[in-house]
Amino acid sequence: LSHAKYNLTSSLFFQLETAAALRRTVETLMGKGAVVRSLENMGEKTLPYKISKHNLRHTRGGYFLVDFSASPTIIPSMLDHLERDIDVIRPTILKKLPQKTQEECPGLVPPDHEGKSFSKRK
Amino acid sequence: MFAVRNCRFFITFTNLKVTTRNPENVFSLGLWQRSLSIQQYENPAGNNDMPIKMDNPYKEPPKTCILCGVTVDYKNIQLLSQFVSPHTGRIYGRHITGLCGKKQKEVSKAIKRAHHMGFMPVTLKEPAFLKDPNVCDIKYPE
Repeated sequence: LSHAKYNLTSSLFFQLETAAALRRTVETLMGKGAVVRSLENMGEKTLPYKISKHNLRHTRGGYFLVDFSASPTIIPSMLDHLERDIDVIRPTILKKLPQKTQEECPGLVPPDHEGKSFSKRK
Repeated sequence: MFAVRNCRFFITFTNLKVTTRNPENVFSLGLWQRSLSIQQYENPAGNNDMPIKMDNPYKEPPKTCILCGVTVDYKNIQLLSQFVSPHTGRIYGRHITGLCGKKQKEVSKAIKRAHHMGFMPVTLKEPAFLKDPNVCDIKYPE
């Protein structure tokens, strides 16, 4: 894919009319030229704290995870669009980082007091 | 010359000076000569009885922190909540969690992200996770 260099994950939660809002979001994404890879539903839960948005105080919401690839130019406009959507309470777009290999962990290394950055004098 | 018998260093020193054949000195002289010869001995037969060079077989595996090999995700709030105070929701420091530098940073970043995105409560610990096993070394729980 020529333009798509990012893998982005957007987590947002909606008020209780989810289907239409989701559909709108995904269609906007595709309209801007993003490739939507997957859409996960993380369930409908009570929010960890009450959120005030669009003149309403929300207590419950549905969490959704949209995994998509897009060029970085559409991100600000996409975020703006999501902010304006009444049904979306808190949109977030994060860059999906490549999974680090876990074998590199050296373990608990004792602190090196004779390193260059640490001078015993002075 | 009194406690000299028990000290190896002094034994060699005195042997160099000894000329008279006292029964005491003869014994220590023989030992010293024998130990010298053992050091210079090389087995002419060829079967090598010398110790093989290998790294310590009883070496302990390197000490790891509890999150070594575990991916830290902002969505996994149950894991993140284990490093947060149940009363105030504050993130515990490195001296309490016992995590290595990398993992502590990852956990801290993930918790702050989860706060902002509305996954994890800020001023308290999620009540569903209050009964989770304690991982941190808290002396005086705040």
